[in-house]
Amino acid sequence: MPSFISNFKQRLRLPRMFFRRPSRQEQIHGGPPLEFKRPIPTAPWRGIAVVVTIVVIVATAAWELHARWLGYAPTLNENEDLWTITRRKVEPESIVIIGDSRAWFDVDLDEFQKGLGKRPIQLAAPGSTTFPVLDDLAKDQSFHGTIICSFVPMLFLAPPGSPPMERAEKNVKRSHNQTPAQHASEYLGMWLEEQLAFLKPDDLSLEGFLNQLPIPNRPGAQVPPTFPPYFQTEDRERRARMWEKCAEPGSELAKRIQQIWIPLFTPPPPPSYIPKDVFMAEIKEGIEKRFADVTAAVEKIRARGGKIVFVRFPNSGGLKELEDKITPRQQTWDPLLQMTHAPGIYYSDFPELSGFNCPEWSHLTAGDSVKFSKRLVPHLRHALKMPATP
Amino acid sequence: MLFNSLTFVVFYVVATTLYWSLRRWELRKNLLVVASYIFYGAWNPPFAALLFTTTAMDFWLGRKIGKAHARRAKKRWLVASVCMNLSMLGFFKYGNFLLQNFQWLLARIGIIYQPPHLDILLPVGISFYTFHSLSYTLDIYRGVLQPTRSLRDFILAVSFFPQLVAGPIVRAGDFLPQLQHPPRLKTNQFLWGLALMTLGLFEKIVLADTLLSGPADRVFDYAGPLVATDSWAGVLAFAGQIFFDFAGYSITAIGAALTLGFHLKDNFRFPYAAIGFSDFWRRWHISLSTFLRDYLYIPLGGNQVPPFRAALNLVIVMFLGGLWHGAAWTFVVWGLLHGSYLVIERVFRIFFEKKAWAGMLPVRLLAGFATYGAVCIAWVFFRASDFTIASRMLSGMFGGHPTGDMILTTRELLQIGIVTATVISLHWTMRDDSFETTVMRLPAWAITVIGAFMAFAIIFTQGTSNAFIYFQF
Repeated sequence: MPSFISNFKQRLRLPRMFFRRPSRQEQIHGGPPLEFKRPIPTAPWRGIAVVVTIVVIVATAAWELHARWLGYAPTLNENEDLWTITRRKVEPESIVIIGDSRAWFDVDLDEFQKGLGKRPIQLAAPGSTTFPVLDDLAKDQSFHGTIICSFVPMLFLAPPGSPPMERAEKNVKRSHNQTPAQHASEYLGMWLEEQLAFLKPDDLSLEGFLNQLPIPNRPGAQVPPTFPPYFQTEDRERRARMWEKCAEPGSELAKRIQQIWIPLFTPPPPPSYIPKDVFMAEIKEGIEKRFADVTAAVEKIRARGGKIVFVRFPNSGGLKELEDKITPRQQTWDPLLQMTHAPGIYYSDFPELSGFNCPEWSHLTAGDSVKFSKRLVPHLRHALKMPATP
Repeated sequence: MLFNSLTFVVFYVVATTLYWSLRRWELRKNLLVVASYIFYGAWNPPFAALLFTTTAMDFWLGRKIGKAHARRAKKRWLVASVCMNLSMLGFFKYGNFLLQNFQWLLARIGIIYQPPHLDILLPVGISFYTFHSLSYTLDIYRGVLQPTRSLRDFILAVSFFPQLVAGPIVRAGDFLPQLQHPPRLKTNQFLWGLALMTLGLFEKIVLADTLLSGPADRVFDYAGPLVATDSWAGVLAFAGQIFFDFAGYSITAIGAALTLGFHLKDNFRFPYAAIGFSDFWRRWHISLSTFLRDYLYIPLGGNQVPPFRAALNLVIVMFLGGLWHGAAWTFVVWGLLHGSYLVIERVFRIFFEKKAWAGMLPVRLLAGFATYGAVCIAWVFFRASDFTIASRMLSGMFGGHPTGDMILTTRELLQIGIVTATVISLHWTMRDDSFETTVMRLPAWAITVIGAFMAFAIIFTQGTSNAFIYFQF
């Protein structure tokens, strides 16, 4: 054996594979190319394929008819790819709506366009925290447009790692990492969703079906809260409109959703594995940090010539009572405006913005969203220091 | 591009239709190369260039090894190939891990060093295609494969889209011969391929993603102590999820290849009915275990060395097998656990294998369940993102938190129980047969009902294109 190889081998004790001929056993395993053919089971495959195809088409058609009979109609589903497509439309001077589902439901893009002179881009996302999106816009050096930011304290102040925070982060992350395949899949998916009513992953899917099974949980089990069923349509601009079935006066669906909001908006008890005082101190610290982070992001945007206005959209009924109790305005809205020195519009401060009824306590109907948006525009123009008329 | 995405459906239909409508074999192969690079580039186009570079280098080095007459020269070219492949893998996959460990070591001797965090994006499937490519030069060196003259054929062998990103690890020696002659379109083979794809997607979309991943994620992500029921349920859910996720991918890949006329070997053979750990590794990720056996374990001496050395070899192989899965010490512990299991099994075999009672059904069943239990314990380290979570999970599983929290719904517990019991029963029923044999025993109406059920379940589930777990490796 040449000396340098033998020394090398001796010192490093490398596998002998590199230094000797393969054994017979290795040759068998490694491969003179095997004449390997996968066995094909004997069965009448043509007939099976034809019957399976027919059964699947019939079952899918039946499921589609059932969905339409239940009142569902084709519409887009909210997901991070649709959000990403919308995020990419943001230009340096765009008007961007960010925040939670209230801005998503309650803003009419046509009215805003008429009133503000530019079509806004809808980036508000249901059940999500505002901060990751605000921070993303602040880090986008080219952006110096206008932000209309919805404020729902429970969501705005949701801690890192919580579902609202994760939803927003997922959207932002996807907008940075979306692959060409995901982009193409979203366009194909949108086309399908605009044709088929049964494509409602939260309601009309296996998971939706399993979630509805009435199986009682163990006493004391900390199970995740129930989320509201499908109650909105969404278009390619991400404009959400409340489903008529929910908007009807005395609607059973609206009543069902009202009862879902209450546990969702009630703060969970401190986890068993953290002492209560430590947990409360962490929450307090987290809220202060969120205000500080939001202030820093707002300052960055302002330094580039951008503008921001915070908006508290309407709520009503038991949910309003609950929100006013657990997240009072003095402890949430007022400090936010003080710290950021940003203008704010709290709907109940203005008679023309008050008095709207949210059928399921949290969002306006499609018709009311148009009226509300029209009435909100003058306040936005004033807050953004725009001339009184467009 | 994910198998469970709409883009793949369109891509597959277009690619397969074009493939079978072309008459010339050379054109068909060219089409597959283009399709495979589109498939890969649809994640991150620049990484297709990396894939091509690795492949072209190994093609060139393979020719050098083949042409060299002197043993010494062959070795030199082989070492170049191994170094090139492993350094690519090392940089992209283990760069930050090595820096972090270096930092930790320096801190132990009092040197404070803050390494830069390398913003490295891991190319999808790099561990798989590196092994595809490496098998070529290794086999040429071993004298069991002739270098191919066609760069295009070799590119196709490495990048063939069904197996490109998550296996099975198809050796060039198994694939290149299939490029010699054009396959003929056979209806039964094509339809069986589609049936396998349906099964694979059912496993991934319905079983792994919809029924198991949610509870597994919640249990492993929970920051507090859990009672034994929830801890075990989370681990069983993950055991099922990783099997259906990975086996689902492999079956879809095998099916897709079959519809194009190519034959890929099994990657799974009912692993949860394994009796003992050597049996488990003959049934789980077979293409990796045979790769490690042939290119590492046997060259280290295999069984032909004294028992202590053979045991050490096993541990070394499983250590590297663990590290192959990811740049984290939890994967290393997972590998070492399996290495220890294999060593303990060998000791047991020495004492008990020849006893008459060892072959009795109750004993075999007991050994099978003990194997499954031990495999599940090892999964804790595989899934947990750090040792704190792993130890909390293990403590919960063995009754360490009797007053811990309960976070799973009764419905989820039932779901996990039913899926786990079903998969174990099916694996035990089929453990001594091939899947094809089992299908052949079924009447046509039963195949039709099962096929229609799976296809409709995929549509009904409306999956959200979750990535396959093994993509990250």
